[in-house]
Amino acid sequence: MIRTLHLKIDSRSECIELVSNAVRGLCRLTRLTTPDLAGIELALVEAINNAIEHAYHGEPGHPVMVTIDLAQDRLSVRIHDRGTPMDPRQLDQISELAEPDPADPNTWSHRGRGLILIKSCMETVEYRTDQGLNTLIMSRPIHGGSPKPA
Amino acid sequence: MVLTHCSLEGIDLVTLNGRLVMADAPPVRQQLLDRIAQGNGRMILDLGQVGFMDSSGLSVLVSVFKAARLKQGDVVLLNLTPAVRSLIELTRLQQVFAIFEDETAAVARLRQADAAG
Repeated sequence: MIRTLHLKIDSRSECIELVSNAVRGLCRLTRLTTPDLAGIELALVEAINNAIEHAYHGEPGHPVMVTIDLAQDRLSVRIHDRGTPMDPRQLDQISELAEPDPADPNTWSHRGRGLILIKSCMETVEYRTDQGLNTLIMSRPIHGGSPKPA
Repeated sequence: MVLTHCSLEGIDLVTLNGRLVMADAPPVRQQLLDRIAQGNGRMILDLGQVGFMDSSGLSVLVSVFKAARLKQGDVVLLNLTPAVRSLIELTRLQQVFAIFEDETAAVARLRQADAAG
């Protein structure tokens, strides 16, 4: 059985915490460990940050939709926006962060850090655009067996 | 996000309390940069009450660290929560930031840097 949660927020950074809290609550229905839960929350927040910052260029008043599917052994999250699409090749091009050099401040910041964090925290990450709707789909297994009974 | 500040013999100790995310990053960055500008560039950031941070929060830490270095100073991190430690390790920034779990050791590190400078 898959249980699904649909959420919709305005494209304002202050609204992201609403989704964060909802997902944390939902994850408490599972046997996800605290570090796993933190990783899911980080991936989710980074994905919504990207939608607001890059798809909508930081402009409020646009919808960001989040769909979470909780299955027996897997959590899937879809983040939808109707803003400027990302080049899907970005996902493949970003593999891992270059090693920061303590002596060279230019190596301490990296563009695309959010995408790398998403890829680090989730098992699968895809991006697609269909008729103006951009969707980032990410998922990871839920270790430790089935979700707690409803 | 709530910031509290005290001075330990010339070292700024700033305690952050709450989530450090995109919504909070601009004002927190400004407050910390102001503090670096007013002080001598030696700062301890106590993150023991920061339960969650995203890459925007991380960029605040990097900005403050860069500003301190421009003043020949240093910023060290104190009391990382598991989520923040995990974020810093994922981005390998533990190679840049000195991290302490003990305030006395953090102060000693900055005093040592001061003496060396």
